[in-house]
Amino acid sequence: MIEELIDNYVRFLSSLTLDHFIRLFWFYIFFEFVRYFALEWFVLNLWKIRKHYNKDKYAMAREQFLFENPLVSIIIPGKNEGKHIYKLIKSLNEQTYKNTEILVIDDGSDDDTPTIGRDLQRAGLIDLFIRNEIRGGKASAANFGLRFTKGKYIVHLDADCSYDRDAIEKIIIPFYMEKDVGGVGGNVNVRNYDTGLVTSLQAIEYYDTISIGRVVTSHLGIYRIISGAFGAFRADVLDKVKGWDIGPGLDGDITVKIRKLGYKIRFAQDAMCLTNAPDTFKKLTKQRLRWDKSLIRFRIRKHKDVLYPNQSFRFANFISFVENITYNLILNVKWYVYLSDMLINYPSLIVNIFITNILLYTVTNFVKFTIYSLYRERSHAPMSYFLLYIPCMVFYFGFYLRIVRSIAYLQETFFKLSYNDPWNPKKTSVHAKKLKI
Amino acid sequence: MKDPNGIERVEESVIKHSGFTFLIIDHMDNLSVEKVQYHNALIIDGKDVDFIRQIVRRVRSHNSPDIYLKPIFILKGINIHDALVNKLIDGTLFNLDQIEFIIPEVERILSRVSDLKFTNSISFEAQMIEKLISFMYTCEIQDLDPIPYVYSGINYAYPILSVNFRQNDEHTVLEILDIAEQEGIFESEYVDRTYLCSQCSSGHLSYREVCPKCGSSNSQTEDIIHHFPCGYVGPIRDFRNEIDDQLDCPKCNKRLRHIGVDYDKPSVLHECKNCSHKFQDYNVKAKCLSCQTDNSVEQLNGREIKKYSLTKKGELAAINGFVSTSKDIDEIIGTVKFETFKTMLKYEIERLRQTEGSSNVCAIHIINPSQVYSKIGSEVQKGLLKDIVKVIRSNIRSSDVISFQSSSTIVLSMNEIPYKISIRILKEIIEILKKLMATAFNNMEVNFEHKVVQLDYKLSPDLHIHQLTKDFNQ
Repeated sequence: MIEELIDNYVRFLSSLTLDHFIRLFWFYIFFEFVRYFALEWFVLNLWKIRKHYNKDKYAMAREQFLFENPLVSIIIPGKNEGKHIYKLIKSLNEQTYKNTEILVIDDGSDDDTPTIGRDLQRAGLIDLFIRNEIRGGKASAANFGLRFTKGKYIVHLDADCSYDRDAIEKIIIPFYMEKDVGGVGGNVNVRNYDTGLVTSLQAIEYYDTISIGRVVTSHLGIYRIISGAFGAFRADVLDKVKGWDIGPGLDGDITVKIRKLGYKIRFAQDAMCLTNAPDTFKKLTKQRLRWDKSLIRFRIRKHKDVLYPNQSFRFANFISFVENITYNLILNVKWYVYLSDMLINYPSLIVNIFITNILLYTVTNFVKFTIYSLYRERSHAPMSYFLLYIPCMVFYFGFYLRIVRSIAYLQETFFKLSYNDPWNPKKTSVHAKKLKI
Repeated sequence: MKDPNGIERVEESVIKHSGFTFLIIDHMDNLSVEKVQYHNALIIDGKDVDFIRQIVRRVRSHNSPDIYLKPIFILKGINIHDALVNKLIDGTLFNLDQIEFIIPEVERILSRVSDLKFTNSISFEAQMIEKLISFMYTCEIQDLDPIPYVYSGINYAYPILSVNFRQNDEHTVLEILDIAEQEGIFESEYVDRTYLCSQCSSGHLSYREVCPKCGSSNSQTEDIIHHFPCGYVGPIRDFRNEIDDQLDCPKCNKRLRHIGVDYDKPSVLHECKNCSHKFQDYNVKAKCLSCQTDNSVEQLNGREIKKYSLTKKGELAAINGFVSTSKDIDEIIGTVKFETFKTMLKYEIERLRQTEGSSNVCAIHIINPSQVYSKIGSEVQKGLLKDIVKVIRSNIRSSDVISFQSSSTIVLSMNEIPYKISIRILKEIIEILKKLMATAFNNMEVNFEHKVVQLDYKLSPDLHIHQLTKDFNQ
């Protein structure tokens, strides 16, 4: 049986002409390979060259920042995060940049978070612990915290993360590199990469797709999501956009709001943050459904005006949106078109097409992983550990994430399910739904 | 002359009935507390509670059992709403005609007093415990209950013990009771907890919610509003408009309509009017009304307030005299026991009867012992007494003897020496002692008084001692 399959496949390969190859693998060639490898690599090289030439500029920016020594306010909103806070505060107290204030905002926790928060404040490990007795959602907690900040820059953190010793310093420097930078995203990686298959796959995704993808989009000026886990903002800009709006997806939303005002958004690859990724497919699916729904809710629905040629039109924002919509929404649809095309036109070759696609993607993944190592700031895990998992990535990206994304798009397009997400309190979501925001 | 009720007026303020004399106090000027010891009971004639309280305190705080154990009655029969006074008196009368009704009570108390023996302990604590249990014995009280009392420095009074201390020193009561409990005189039962100033141990504290930054209690509180549609969170003043009483969201300009539907109030925010600091959790501070220290509540000294019951050992100690505690002070070198002193005094009087020389007996008394001993521990107390004895010893001849009548009264003999010279020597000793105390204790005043009595072979040793100490300010 297997021999027959191999025989059949070898015959298929030997009969494959270039035209035939393009016809059968157009999706891989024109979308996946071009966008996610060739173009990406090309831009990465441009970025690397610019980084090299900007070395002195970077050093000067750093010097200027340290000379000015501005107060940086770190806000940590969350519910029932008490158990994580001590570890987080420990990594914050280790920071090389010292002129910071730490504010923990408790969004109606029903565990011992208030006790822990007050203890930390009494012990002088944090500057302020404030609490809303009634849960209002992450946006309201962040906005409440924002009121109490005194810093020139605001850093928004998630309580379950920890940070490199120089992470705060590194995330602020981009504000001194260029004018009109409104926000800077930090580089989030997976801390628990070795707890199982799910977290290992996510770790590779964070290294190769999310982190490198952000380097590329940032270089092109179309970087669109400052992660809620680690993002820095100019306080005056946050004041102008009047803080965060209702989530889920509030981190992407605020980035767009800042971009709309004409500010630049940058990615600080060297500002390293480690987070605990979901450790089961069930949890991961829930998280990704939430993330993917926000594309429809915020890009297509709330901020669709970015695509219109009106007064506030900005080309970079337009491209950012188009790129996002094209390579997430449209590409996702195109994949089904490709699948249908193959099933209808080449039903007898479907097994060979499948095997070839798997091989193509796997080889690409290996090559990408190896080549991108040259562009990664650093890894907190041995790269050899991940090589074993690379073959699984084709299934993770090609099938699992694609299916989850498709479900999310359908749920949000037709049923607006993001408004029912318990991640946000219902009392606020009903208003967001009514106001179509 | 007896009236029809059998009352005989002996003096203007003394009456007699059934063989008992009653000293009647109707004015502060009338009261020389020492007079009380010559009568069987005391009747306070007055309606002013402050006046009654003062008289009762002065009698019960005296350190002579001949005075502090005397029955006290209140004339006029007014209702006294002072729990401490009520615990320290033995009854009330509507008028003097009812005196016959209190005779059995006077008899009973005096009979029980006659059961008691007293020791002359040098330890202040032991002396206080002895006083406490002998009073309980005469009043047939088994339990010593703490009374919540506004005039108490620790918020609770243990009547017969607390009267011995000024408000500022009243915390010593708890230490004395702890010692008594450790010695097995009392068993205790928890009643409450009181918090005392970390600096001066006063319980008169004013608790205030203060700004965690500057400690000011001057702050204002505002509700925090969360506007659901846009996620804006801020104090209510952000939402007030200048036109009407409506609330408008400063972020999205929408009008707030219905609490719980489009907005809620998840918390409150306090703003310090002194330093403008904004905060949610007040610090609680306790300002001491005695020494003005602003204590954080964690600094306060929490003390248990207990109810005490006399044990069998306690009852026996009350009758036989409270002899010793672990805190007691052993005999101080250079002194003799008070009983020995009295015997030697007796021999000296006998000798004088035959030789007609001039000998004297002297006393030095610490005027404010409860203040002094409440501020220093028993170790320092012992050192203080040793130093005093050392000073006296170096100024008198080696043939003269020194003894302690109580923890605050030192008696000494100056035999074969003229009266005037004795007075001069004693004055010199007092001057040296004053200087010594000023050097040893910076923040504490130790006051002395003294007296010299020339020995008279016609009088007994006890009368000499009485003459010597009767005018001391107790």
